[in-house]
Amino acid sequence: MDRRQALQRAGLVLGYAISAPVIAGIMNGCKSTPELTYKPVFFTEEQAGLVSEVAAIIIPKTDTPGAKEVGVPAFMDQLIKQCYKKEDQDRFLAGLAEFDDGAKKAYGDSFMDLESAKQKEYVKKTHDAALDAAKAGTAKDKPFILMAKELTVVGFYTSEEGASKILQYAPVPGAFHGCVPMAEVGKTWAT
Amino acid sequence: MNLNTEAQKENTYDAIVVGTGISGGWAAKELTEKGLKTLVLERGRMVKHGEYPTATKAPWELENADRPTQEDLVRQGVQNRTGYTVRQSSKHWFVNDIENPYSETKRFDWMRGYHVGGRSITWGRQSYRLGDMDFEANAKEGIAVDWPVRYKDMSPWYDYVETFIGVSGQNEGLYQLPDGKYLPPMEMRCVEKDMKKAVWEKFGRVITMGRTAHLTAPLSHDKSPQRATCQYRDMCIRGCPFGAYFSSLSSTLIAAEATGNMTLRANSIVHELIYDEAKGKATGVRIQDAETGEQVEYFAKVIFLCASTFGSTQILLNSVSKRFPNGFGNDSGELGCNIMDHHLNAGASGIIEGLEDQYYTGRRANGIYIPRYRNVGSDKRDYLRGFGYQGGGSRQGWSHLVAEYSIGEELKASALTPGPWTLGIGGFGEFLPYHENRVTLNRDKKDKYGLPTLTFDAELKENEYKMRKDMVNDAAEMLEAAGAKNIKTSDNPGGPGLGIHEMGTARMGKDPKTSVLNKFNQVHACKNVFVTDGSFMTSSACVNPSLTYMAFTARAADYAVQELKKGNL
Repeated sequence: MDRRQALQRAGLVLGYAISAPVIAGIMNGCKSTPELTYKPVFFTEEQAGLVSEVAAIIIPKTDTPGAKEVGVPAFMDQLIKQCYKKEDQDRFLAGLAEFDDGAKKAYGDSFMDLESAKQKEYVKKTHDAALDAAKAGTAKDKPFILMAKELTVVGFYTSEEGASKILQYAPVPGAFHGCVPMAEVGKTWAT
Repeated sequence: MNLNTEAQKENTYDAIVVGTGISGGWAAKELTEKGLKTLVLERGRMVKHGEYPTATKAPWELENADRPTQEDLVRQGVQNRTGYTVRQSSKHWFVNDIENPYSETKRFDWMRGYHVGGRSITWGRQSYRLGDMDFEANAKEGIAVDWPVRYKDMSPWYDYVETFIGVSGQNEGLYQLPDGKYLPPMEMRCVEKDMKKAVWEKFGRVITMGRTAHLTAPLSHDKSPQRATCQYRDMCIRGCPFGAYFSSLSSTLIAAEATGNMTLRANSIVHELIYDEAKGKATGVRIQDAETGEQVEYFAKVIFLCASTFGSTQILLNSVSKRFPNGFGNDSGELGCNIMDHHLNAGASGIIEGLEDQYYTGRRANGIYIPRYRNVGSDKRDYLRGFGYQGGGSRQGWSHLVAEYSIGEELKASALTPGPWTLGIGGFGEFLPYHENRVTLNRDKKDKYGLPTLTFDAELKENEYKMRKDMVNDAAEMLEAAGAKNIKTSDNPGGPGLGIHEMGTARMGKDPKTSVLNKFNQVHACKNVFVTDGSFMTSSACVNPSLTYMAFTARAADYAVQELKKGNL
């Protein structure tokens, strides 16, 4: 369903034009478009919004914070700008657009307009297909979804929350023991 | 005239040491402790022990998860060829490639750090002795020239340097890898212990704990109170604020400083040795101050070149005189030739199933070591020499989840449990000395200080490539014996230099016609110049060489001071 078109039609019916900001407001009412928590330096606002949502699906908020809560979207934005080669930046953005087009084809709506359950379903489907292709050796380049996943996982588990609270991090271990029962260590070391 | 005499007096020392890395630090310590007023010159910036800007940064305090930016790679593209040196936490210890160019007739990976301490800050710390199998090999096989020393000459000096710096490890009683004076070895992880047992039972090959210059217990002497035991942080490449591993900053330069006999001058780029034709001696060095551009001459009775293999070779090649038109001490024509490294990145890795109830605590900056067994005893291969393996086993962390199917809550939950055990080993192969593997001075291409740059023309040859087949296949076989599954082999030689063990360009030998240095690292043709960095190596052996540079440097310094006292220099 195309909300924008529907609203504009409603405006015509009511005999007045609805301005763009109002449309945005009403749309937010329909499906809460989450606000960006940072000012992107690489992505457009639109791209940044989509990347944030994908990151939040890959590592969601549970009883502990998720990717969005620990600042992963801003991490991705900066890393792609500073560390990616131009060709990889282009590939990421092209992949992102393709990902969104895929959503439109599959659900008739752009990714950001999908209900949360459909967003999750689409991310999972795209992700699994990309991994299948990677494992079968049929993938040419790393697709958008796996680039996004890698950055999300790296950003999350190198964040203070991810590394030191969700996993565990010892700044100065003081000793090394090579064989310790897992039960005594408890959980994965961040590094 | 008077002014000049005064200036010369002010700039005169008993000894000059060029370089502050592994070898320079040792030369500085030994010469100053023996009472020589010593000027120590470093081409890079000043750094003091403790000045390690990233040493205590947590993962989240490093920009971009420690990755290099594209801007970093423009400045340090060559330095990044290792894949591990140019990080936010370590890039300041490696040179700017734009400002420090060189030419490659064939690919050559030259990794450098210009600052006080040199690569002793970033070295891998693995410390092994050469044995008679190594010292005798050239003579027995008719390769290059014979080493002018044997293990009995070096063994007391290995004892001496190991005791001072502190090396942890396990004595194994092997002929091909001599025992040493070790602090307690670090612990093996479960899968490593299992592999040790399996490889011994199936192949009769020893797996020992890596011998590494870390303090696993207090030193046996009280000369380095600044050095504490290893805290198992595994951030060594950033510099250790605990002084737990050996570097010249944490150890030898502090000892030299304590004598009151050392003058350390950073930002001092040595252009050449000054040769006095009448005396037949080097009288000093000409430097350029990297900050002011000013050229200064310093004078001394004895000069130690410890500027790194290619650093010293560059200075020697650039020091031409009537007596030495082809480079200082280069009567043999061997200066710049016989480049060696260790060839590496050939090995295998796999997954060990089970042992899911086992883990570990602490981050061990060390691995297991498989001493050379090829062409040892009755083993005979279709190539000369052999290789050792370094490696280890650990459980995969969160990063393996990128390639797993889980996402969302499932991913978050599975991250709490470490992934499967992986086990991997990679060979470090001996590199034969080939005369034609060489570095030359390019007087047409100068760096920003006006110094002629170096051109590299070196490559692996048939012997190395044949050896690599064993390095790969043996690795896979031993992993298989250890029960590994999904074994993947790798063979990526990269360029020579990638081992960062460059050696051989001013080799020592018995005959001045075929070597640059004598058995005391003394230039055959100019007795008051000693070269004690990796350039003196007559063959490469297959073990990490830094400990050997230390032992030869200490021995050379001892000899130099004796000769000085006898009036022979």
